Amino acid sequence: MSALGVVGGVVQPLVVVAGSPIVVGVMRQVRARLEGRAGAGIGQPWRDLRKLFGKEPIAPRGTSEVFRFAPLVLVATTLVVAVVVPFVTTESALDPVADLFAVVALLAAGTVALALAGLDTGTAFGGMGASREMTIIALVEPTLLVAIFALSVRVGSTNLAAIVASTLDDPSRVISPVSLLAAVALVVVIVAETGRLPVDNPSTHLELTMVHEAMVLEYAGPDLALVELASAMRLTVFLGLLANLFLPWGIATSVSPLAVLGGVVAVTVKVTVLGTALAVGEVFLAKLRLFRVPELLAGSFLLALLAVAASFFLA
Amino acid sequence: MSDTTYVQVLDLACGGLLLTAVLVLWRRELSVIVRVFAAQGVAVAVLVAVLATHEGSAELGGVAVGILVLRAGALPWLLRRALAGAGPARRETRPLVNVAASLLAAALLTLLAYAVSQPLVALAPSPATHAIPVGVTVFLIGFFVLVTRRRALSQLVGFLLMDNGITTVGFLTTAGVGLVVELGVSLDVLLAVLVLRILTTRMRETFGGTDLDELRELHD
Amino acid sequence: MNPIGAALGGAAAVGLLAAVVAVVVPQRVRAWAAGVGTAVCGAAGLTAGIYALSGTTFFLTLPALLPLSGVTITVDALGGVFLAVTGAVAVAAGVYGIGYARHGGDGRVVQAVFPLFVVAMLLVVCAASVGTFLVCWELMALFSLLLVVAEHKRRPEVAEAGRWYAVMTHLGMVAILAGLLVLAAHAAGDSFPALRDAGRHLPPAVAAVVFVVTLAGFGSKAGILPLHAWLPRAHPEAPSPVSALMSAAMVNLGVYGIVRVGFDLLGGGPRWWWVVVLALGAVSAVYGILQAAMSTDLKRLLGYSTTENMGLVLVGVGAAGMFASGGNRVLAGLALAAALLHVVNHSAFKTVLFLSAGSVLHGTGSRDLDALGGLRTSMPATTAAFGLGALAASALPPGTAFVSEWLLLQALIHGLPASGTITAIAMPLAVAAVALTAGLAVATFVKAFGVGFLARPRSDAAENAQESPASMLIGMGIAGAACVGLALLPGLVLPAIGSVAGRVVDSSSPMLADAVTVQLVGVAGSLSPLMLTIALVVAIMLVIGVVRAVAARRARRAARLWDCGAGPMSARMEYTATSFAEPLQRVFDNVLQPETDVDVTHTRESSYLVEAVQYRRQVPDRIERRLYRPVLALVAVWGSIGRRLASGSVHRYLGYGFYTVCGLLILLVVTR
Repeated sequence: MSALGVVGGVVQPLVVVAGSPIVVGVMRQVRARLEGRAGAGIGQPWRDLRKLFGKEPIAPRGTSEVFRFAPLVLVATTLVVAVVVPFVTTESALDPVADLFAVVALLAAGTVALALAGLDTGTAFGGMGASREMTIIALVEPTLLVAIFALSVRVGSTNLAAIVASTLDDPSRVISPVSLLAAVALVVVIVAETGRLPVDNPSTHLELTMVHEAMVLEYAGPDLALVELASAMRLTVFLGLLANLFLPWGIATSVSPLAVLGGVVAVTVKVTVLGTALAVGEVFLAKLRLFRVPELLAGSFLLALLAVAASFFLA
Repeated sequence: MSDTTYVQVLDLACGGLLLTAVLVLWRRELSVIVRVFAAQGVAVAVLVAVLATHEGSAELGGVAVGILVLRAGALPWLLRRALAGAGPARRETRPLVNVAASLLAAALLTLLAYAVSQPLVALAPSPATHAIPVGVTVFLIGFFVLVTRRRALSQLVGFLLMDNGITTVGFLTTAGVGLVVELGVSLDVLLAVLVLRILTTRMRETFGGTDLDELRELHD
Repeated sequence: MNPIGAALGGAAAVGLLAAVVAVVVPQRVRAWAAGVGTAVCGAAGLTAGIYALSGTTFFLTLPALLPLSGVTITVDALGGVFLAVTGAVAVAAGVYGIGYARHGGDGRVVQAVFPLFVVAMLLVVCAASVGTFLVCWELMALFSLLLVVAEHKRRPEVAEAGRWYAVMTHLGMVAILAGLLVLAAHAAGDSFPALRDAGRHLPPAVAAVVFVVTLAGFGSKAGILPLHAWLPRAHPEAPSPVSALMSAAMVNLGVYGIVRVGFDLLGGGPRWWWVVVLALGAVSAVYGILQAAMSTDLKRLLGYSTTENMGLVLVGVGAAGMFASGGNRVLAGLALAAALLHVVNHSAFKTVLFLSAGSVLHGTGSRDLDALGGLRTSMPATTAAFGLGALAASALPPGTAFVSEWLLLQALIHGLPASGTITAIAMPLAVAAVALTAGLAVATFVKAFGVGFLARPRSDAAENAQESPASMLIGMGIAGAACVGLALLPGLVLPAIGSVAGRVVDSSSPMLADAVTVQLVGVAGSLSPLMLTIALVVAIMLVIGVVRAVAARRARRAARLWDCGAGPMSARMEYTATSFAEPLQRVFDNVLQPETDVDVTHTRESSYLVEAVQYRRQVPDRIERRLYRPVLALVAVWGSIGRRLASGSVHRYLGYGFYTVCGLLILLVVTR
């Protein structure tokens, strides 16, 4: 645990917590403008959170501690990931936890908590959302782990700091077929895990189309605020992970305040750009039927498998 | 006992064994068959006694006495008791294979027994092991009797003949398979005879005869 | 006095004593005697295992005990792992069985055989000659069969399950017998050292035959496809402590057999053996968890989950063999260590899961997930135990299986650089299979826990549920504590397992583990489950603190669930296990091929009007349909042909014997 790691461990969660609603706001604003609307402004998600935190907390009849704790677990897992992954600094605060498998599994654990909360309500909506979400998670796992495999072959390790450092040392590796294929596969994975179009529509409440929204239908007040914050943080974390795994330049390699500031600015810019690209893509895409999603995920699995094969045969 | 006397008595006993086995195959009256079987029991006892004197083993002598009591005394007595209740059916009616063919088969079985026992004899040539083929012959003839006779009593005698043959081979090869094993086997045989005797009585009561060929219901 | 010898002798003595006592004492005390005896026996086995892991070995011959071959017993480090695991599971199951026996499995035979089963399993691991091994294996199979059919008087399905189990376990034993005998025929004796020497010099064809045949036998015991059909039938029907022992201790012995024969006795072997093992393991894992995801019977779900986990273990063993035959001993040690750790972890969480499933059965009388629900209010301890087991089984941090799956993935990933084309194709596919398995396992256990224990009760049985007696809770607690310990502090067992794995593949230990971190040796990678858990707990506290500070301080108000304004929610509106798994079933339609039955009854007056519709859907086991039915049909055809041999005449039957004897003798003469 070096000084750089500690600095990163303190700065990163603050940046992520503060910035993720802004990222979501930017994405919504871009979509609004492209769709010809005025939009609510970049700060609207923060305004929503403030409103929700001021409301009365609710406990629906028939639910239990599982329902009450799930938002906490969700935020906590995303917070741990935000602390551990190298966003702003190359070294991580808790290096033995900064393993790509561990990070991916932690994020899945958060989703599982939410699914259990959905089942705990005992409503048909909750069960439906949980069932669909679990199906998507089960099908995303192979793509995710094989893409991590592809990334780790060149580096010889799945430790995040090692991967980022080795990409910094050898920039030309990014343009290789391995990296490009893995990047495309990971983009599809991120879309599926964060519940964006075309896998899931984050702004729908029709039972035919809800996946994530169905699980959190019963939440209100501070609980809903935590859930919204958590999903914004997950989006930011995933986009930051994608950015720093493939385009890590600007990340702070020394403890000087200038470098750290540069790291913050770099990750903010990268995440915003990626988020905007995602939002623009969403405007032109329609949501896929739930039973077409496996085809999409199978395609991404094929790309990840090709990435691994390329890393062997082109080595 | 001198060597030549030993060999002579041994050969005599084996000859007696073979002769009695062929007689069982040849004669058709059930009472004669039982008497012949008793004689074979005596022959086996003599064989074991000769081996006992040659080895100088008191245990083997005790076994010989036991064999005499069991195979020449108790078993024929039980068979005679069963025969006494048989009534008029005291002859073996046409066997499945007629007598001439049975004797021919006995000759073939003797040849087979000799051919099979060659490696055993070659392993440890001695007067005792030279007599092994006789034991195997008695076994095979006993099995043949078991298969081709119709009366339950004849089949029982065939089964006992098989056991005599096995005992003979056992004593000739190893000079005794151990007192405990011999006791156990003898007990088994005794029990088998008792059970079969009860069965024959029951069969006679239920079916009015013990002709096994008429009992054909033992299938699916 | 060798501590292992003392512990093993103690275990055998206590087991026999407990069996005798259980037969003799009155019914009130019978369960106590058997349960305490089993627990003490298990504790002795655990001690023996721990001593063996720390380096002590034990050797004993009793030539007079068994005719022909005598009894040879050797305990080494590899055996120590399985001794310890079996012993630990027996402790939990024994304590649990005290309370469970009141549920009805109180018969003399069942209670007496329970400790004997544990003793037989311990002896299988110690056996060091073919005769001893087979006798102990057969004893273990026999005792487990007696235990499986314990409740056959109350339920007829138990008899059928027992029949399947008996036939398949004996076919497996015949296969093992054949393989070991072929090996012993080429060796100077039948003790394992003699077999080891012979195994180095066997011609490749003979070694291949031995390996394949023993793989079939041991794989069947471990529940690997395609010989797994007994597992999902026998485990639900057996009493729960017996299911726990079978699933968490007995199936491990199949893995033990494969490692012992493949690595130890045959000395490694060519790479294609281990590719077969890897392929079988991967297919079993995916198929097993898929069937578990579809299953609505709680114990059948857990049985299929055992197939899945054993499949993952075989993936590790296969990868270890592939690396070893390619010369990469460090990675081979790592893969084997991952497999052995997964064996240990699986035993821990499978015990918790089966014991809590038994508790649910005891409290509600039902195993059907579609009829359960809402048990967290009436059975909180059982819910907590099952939740712990489900977290452990789903390979999520901070669960137990996460560490072993991480190790397995690390071993598979690092296999790529220095290898041939076969490895380059096999490794990504293996990683994909492991990943798909992990994803489906998460879905399965969310279903099992969420549908079975949360929300509202779906039937009267679940509504009138009662918590289990104290001894059952203590048994679950022991297993749960083991799960937690293995999850947070894998450094307690990893050094021992690492050195065992290293010794089996002739290299040094592949990892360094202190109390906090697991560090891999030779390849780059480290993980700290403890740090991860502490970070999570700290983060949760932080979030609670921030929310308290930021949110308005008001008490929570109870409110209605959203019911679309239509009135109070009934239990019928909840999602059931079948509906939860329906999207997955549609995605995997081609593999599962469910059978649907729709029965439409029309009214008497007109055939255009429908009076009643009955819908039935079933997900069969495809392997059984495709593979087993033709074999069984063939056997039935042979049987009916053979029936013609039985004409009814006693003479003919006797004649068959005579002709056979004469024919054999003639053959003997002619072929001299």
